[in-house]
Amino acid sequence: MKRLAIALLITGSAHAIDVPIEGTVQSRCLINTDVSGVYGNPNAYTLTTTPADGGVLPVVRYDVSLADAYKARITYPTAFSASPSLSDMVTWTGSVTVQEVSDVAMADYDTDAVEYDQTKEYDLTATGTTWFKIASSATYGGGGNKAFPGGTYRALVVAECIAQ
Amino acid sequence: MYRAVILFLLALPAYSHEMTPTYPKWGPSHVDGVFKAEMELFNKRRDVEWYEIGVFDVDWKPVPFVSRYKVMRLKYLSHVQFDVYVSAPDVSTAEYVCSVSKLRESSDKKPMVATRICSRFKP
Repeated sequence: MKRLAIALLITGSAHAIDVPIEGTVQSRCLINTDVSGVYGNPNAYTLTTTPADGGVLPVVRYDVSLADAYKARITYPTAFSASPSLSDMVTWTGSVTVQEVSDVAMADYDTDAVEYDQTKEYDLTATGTTWFKIASSATYGGGGNKAFPGGTYRALVVAECIAQ
Repeated sequence: MYRAVILFLLALPAYSHEMTPTYPKWGPSHVDGVFKAEMELFNKRRDVEWYEIGVFDVDWKPVPFVSRYKVMRLKYLSHVQFDVYVSAPDVSTAEYVCSVSKLRESSDKKPMVATRICSRFKP
């Protein structure tokens, strides 16, 4: 039996071939969804990702392999992509902030960011990883604190990586 | 309070979207007067299977282009190489080529984050 096993091994090695593995190294940007968001419902008229209110802040991670090559552009929601029929106004608020960085050279990303409308734009001036957290809240009733109708609500954060 | 307290998304492992090269170049195609750029897309988002391609000018206005599919299906952990064709008069105005994740409303997975990656044609 041992002889047979040895013979099989020898035969196997005689048929070995080289299997090439190829790869290229180039500049790239990856957008990762590290933590998906959850809306908490602290009262009848508010949906919020604030952790103290039962929500979870979505976290998006950008991996960049070339400095000064990309801009990160993150937009928090201003509408539901799915919801029950709503007859009254929804007031939206939100924010985008750097949660964590992999390199000290990214320390000023938040202060150097440009903010317009619901969008925050960051120059990714260093190589490495940056985590952004996004907050979102929706209040129903246009200040009248009207209760949201029961149902499923969903809204979208848009995370973009634009070559400079 | 049984009123809907609804999930944006389930807490799921990291998903990513990648498109290369960062700075594609226009090259000749097999048709006179039409230029071609070669791109590659990698889907590491388990919650997304479809991506839409777009070409834009510096002001983010759409530029006419042709590709095999403008909306392509890309399974989880799949790579796809695709060509983007633009006619000669549009080559100088085409600034960005972008891929954007397409989220399906009917999907069991409920992604909250739409991702878009844009490469740039540099002179």
